[in-house]
Amino acid sequence: MPRAIRGVLIQCEPAIKSIIVHLDSVNNDIIIEDLDEQTLVVKENMVQLLKQKLEDRLKETYRPEEPLADSD
Amino acid sequence: VVDQIRLWQLENERMQTTAGFLFKDFESTEEYAALSRYAEEIGVLVWKNDKRQLFFASKHEQLRDYLKSRKKGE
Repeated sequence: MPRAIRGVLIQCEPAIKSIIVHLDSVNNDIIIEDLDEQTLVVKENMVQLLKQKLEDRLKETYRPEEPLADSD
Repeated sequence: VVDQIRLWQLENERMQTTAGFLFKDFESTEEYAALSRYAEEIGVLVWKNDKRQLFFASKHEQLRDYLKSRKKGE
């Protein structure tokens, strides 16, 4: 019998995928299966965290000269 | 706030997420072909790779039942 593994399929640009692979390399706790250069399956409970981390990363990328804003 | 919205849009355009199940470790090419075809027919197939014999489906109940009935028929 084949296995059915619960998860979330992510389809994205190769650049975004490489960020996810990099984030996963720290603890190996995000990716379930690396499918191809634009597709992977991640753990359901890590999606929110992943989106947050990606957003942080995108902020860094697009506005590198700005310091982090104070929360007000 | 505008920046936040722009970032959010950017991320959404760049990343699509679908909850479901990854099917892998098929016993044979026939089993993979039959199940992935059935998944497509009932509209739950989201992604597949014939070469690696892997596919992702949004639901698994009907596929599980299909596999069981296939096994019985063997």
